[in-house]
Amino acid sequence: MKRTLTIAALAALVAAPAAWAGDASAGKAKAAQVCAACHGPEGNKPSAPDQPILAGQHEDYLVKALTDYKSGRRANPIMKGFASTLSSKDIEDVAAWFSSQSSDLHSTR
Amino acid sequence: MFTSIRTGLLAACVVAALAAPVAQAQNVAGNAQAAKNKVSMCTGCHGIPGYKTAFPKVYHVPKIGGQQPVYIVNALKAYKTGERSHPSMVGIAASLSEQDMADLAAYYGAAK
Repeated sequence: MKRTLTIAALAALVAAPAAWAGDASAGKAKAAQVCAACHGPEGNKPSAPDQPILAGQHEDYLVKALTDYKSGRRANPIMKGFASTLSSKDIEDVAAWFSSQSSDLHSTR
Repeated sequence: MFTSIRTGLLAACVVAALAAPVAQAQNVAGNAQAAKNKVSMCTGCHGIPGYKTAFPKVYHVPKIGGQQPVYIVNALKAYKTGERSHPSMVGIAASLSEQDMADLAAYYGAAK
């Protein structure tokens, strides 16, 4: 019994960081308003060849990209406009949404 | 009569001059086969699932396999011009020609 409790406590600790990360369902709603027109609702159907596939991309990379667009560190007038409307929480939420969707994106040799 | 021809020619030249850079950029066709001896500089980070950058901030390097080729070329150009600023990528992109970029984009865009 004690061991089960210990294991449960450890599991909760391990799971905790995920709970602090973005909320994918809130991200889905925000993405539908801000991102979907160009990247597709799931981020796997860009409307033009120069727009990246976001579905399946690493969550922390998406957070970094959006944060850099918002601050202007990554200079792109179109993405600065959209990223500026997102709060830090929105950024984490949409990153959680897109990173959990499926696409052909992968690490490769 | 002569004036209108001259004006027409001038207009044609202006149009041609304006259109040229765009046409040139699109004319660089990527060759995935040619990229095979250029990808060694990419695989050390992008070829390892779950690999993270250590500097300047810790995060997963993006997955580029299966990404849209035009986006990859634009990203490399942006690193070369300094519009994007990751130190390793700026260094690597500086060494790439437009042909190299197109080849790498074709390779990763089609890579499975």
